[in-house]
Amino acid sequence: MVRQRFFFLIVFIFLVGLGSCQSVKPWQRGTLAKPEMQLEVDKLGSQLYSLVYFSKEASSGGSEVAGAGCGCN
Amino acid sequence: MALSTAALSLPAFSASQPPEIELSLKTSVYKEGDVPIHRVVSGSEERYEIDIQQFYLLTPVARNWSLAFNASHETMSGASPWGTVPGIDGRPTLIMSGATIRDSRTELSVGVNRYTDNASFGIGFTHSNEDDYEADAIVLSGEWDFNNKLSTLALGLSYSDDKIEPTDALLFGRVQKEDKRSRSFSISWTQVLNKTSLLQSGLSVTKQDGYLTDPYKLRDVRPDERLEWALSLRYRKFFENPDGALHLDYRYYDDDFGVHSHTVQTAWYQNISEQFQLVPSLRYYSQREADFYLAIDDFTLPLIVNQSSDYRLSTYGAYTFGLKGIFKHNNWSVNISLDRYISNDKYALSDAQFKHPALLDFSLMSVGFDIRF
Amino acid sequence: MELYEFPFHAMGCPCELRFYADKKQTAERVAEQCIAEARRFEYKYSRYLEDSVTTHINHSAGLRPIQIDQETHAILHYAQVCYEQSNGLFDITSGVLRKVWNQDRRSLPVDSELQSLVELVGWHKVELNDDTVYLPALGMELDFGGVVKEYVADTLTVMARSSAIEHGFVNLGGDISIIGPQVNGEPWSIGIVHPTEPDTAIAAIALSSGAITTSGGYERYFDIDNRHYSHLINPKTGWPVESLLSVSVVADKAIVAGSISSIALLNGEVDGLAWLASCDSAYLAIDCALVCHGDLVNTIEKSNALK
Repeated sequence: MVRQRFFFLIVFIFLVGLGSCQSVKPWQRGTLAKPEMQLEVDKLGSQLYSLVYFSKEASSGGSEVAGAGCGCN
Repeated sequence: MALSTAALSLPAFSASQPPEIELSLKTSVYKEGDVPIHRVVSGSEERYEIDIQQFYLLTPVARNWSLAFNASHETMSGASPWGTVPGIDGRPTLIMSGATIRDSRTELSVGVNRYTDNASFGIGFTHSNEDDYEADAIVLSGEWDFNNKLSTLALGLSYSDDKIEPTDALLFGRVQKEDKRSRSFSISWTQVLNKTSLLQSGLSVTKQDGYLTDPYKLRDVRPDERLEWALSLRYRKFFENPDGALHLDYRYYDDDFGVHSHTVQTAWYQNISEQFQLVPSLRYYSQREADFYLAIDDFTLPLIVNQSSDYRLSTYGAYTFGLKGIFKHNNWSVNISLDRYISNDKYALSDAQFKHPALLDFSLMSVGFDIRF
Repeated sequence: MELYEFPFHAMGCPCELRFYADKKQTAERVAEQCIAEARRFEYKYSRYLEDSVTTHINHSAGLRPIQIDQETHAILHYAQVCYEQSNGLFDITSGVLRKVWNQDRRSLPVDSELQSLVELVGWHKVELNDDTVYLPALGMELDFGGVVKEYVADTLTVMARSSAIEHGFVNLGGDISIIGPQVNGEPWSIGIVHPTEPDTAIAAIALSSGAITTSGGYERYFDIDNRHYSHLINPKTGWPVESLLSVSVVADKAIVAGSISSIALLNGEVDGLAWLASCDSAYLAIDCALVCHGDLVNTIEKSNALK
């Protein structure tokens, strides 16, 4: 059951990823290169929020692996 | 200007451009609101306050290689919940730690990355040290670009080895020395959708085993294995008018403790001028309690039966309201952010029997400085 | 540190490298690499060599698509953006018009003669894919000359910098790309040739980074029936353009400066000035009455002192 769910999710990820995209020429990527268009705008900020939410809520993870553990959790 | 942008994709400017040195500093104050005094039977109602200092340095070391250092130091003080007992009204009431706990944590990481034209590979080591906790972790990562760099596949693997040595173990009859391990795997696919938007889908799976119980609680018994997985979607969209970027993130989390949660996070990066950006943000979080969560500790249950009154395993929901200002000048920038977190069982998507008295409200204020050269 | 100069000849024009280096051998080694790289480009994109990429593409016009490498693809992509940005005036397929407009021309061509050639011109007809390019009509031709020289100047600059040269510049027939300022921190003084007096400078531009290119309608022209016709041909009509006499542009990259100045010339006098004003780059434009325009004009006085 759990295995099936994982399999379904991975397939889902690639379908979302591959579908519905149009060709963007290299010189049309100026907008995507803007700092505010990055997945992670502020590296230390992201680390800080991850740590705070990791230690105060039950959930963690998402798109990246877990780092070192801490006694906060 | 279109010609300059087009020129950037010529090989001379993409391959041999020397990577930049990046340096970031951040100092933050995290402060939890007090526990309502009528919901505390013993101990202090004053909760955690944490000062956090962070440092990050990325520097090229040779052609196609970079080295990253990360350091953070936290000093915390305050009381934490030890357990719950029924109050006069039958609702859970807190037993808090008496004296103010003082602790500090230092984390150091070093990582190496190698870049090729269409891929990058990294390895990193982290050491984290507290009075009562020590962790060593190793992280491996890889990224591959496809479809003329319109798509990126990222894989990550990590292993953390943690040692727990609770303070005053003999005095309070706590465990003396325990350990736990966690292994984690992640995969993500980032896709440029068009000139102004991109989407990342990610999945992470973490397996923890060992001592997962909170050693400071009066009665806390948890399984010695936990399998967690999370699915995330992250979307970025730029709007020429009014010159801003939308960030929209969603995460679904599920584990075999029985917890599952939804997180929705959105931020708007508004360009006010060439130099100034204002970023309001909103986060909503809702989780369902663990199967063995008890609002009130049951001291009559045998010690082999799982139970925990940790508010972090209860049913609740939370909102975070944030505002950030970013000031840029030449190659450096300064950012100031303020976040306010409020949580309540009423905000949850599912119903809770009781509101846990230790549910948190906190404020987080940060000042950061970044420079590239 | 000493200044070392390396003159050479490539892509049909006199070129020069100037590097500051601690040792002569260092400067020589880097210069050797750079000159070899310039030759590589020259051979790869020459119109005259039998096995150049350009010749392969042109010989397959109307027959079949030709496999191209990533570098060629990237340059063609850049040329495509120039075509789009210039509303079709900057067109690397316009070289066939040279069959009519060449130095042997003594009389004006008749319309039918031009018309058959204009039909072979038009970047929009070219089929460019990630790894192939196809000229769909027999007789069509690509000419990389309008972009490659400037791109080579940029490439050599990047190359010199990655070999630890910090002070110097690359000069490929007047397309100049700065590696870094002089060793004392002073900018280089780049002279701009007077359009009607070839041995004097009309301006001296102080530059410590970026690139400057100069294009002129004065360089080559035809005299037919006592009238000057410039070598700049409007690819849509097939007729020479009455262009500005000379345009110099300063930009981050030589390839960008070069295409801005080329497009300015192709636009004719009035539209050319408007185009320059619309680009964010500093420029000096000289019109047929020898009047100077642009934000680099105030550098002219200095150069008069130089004379």
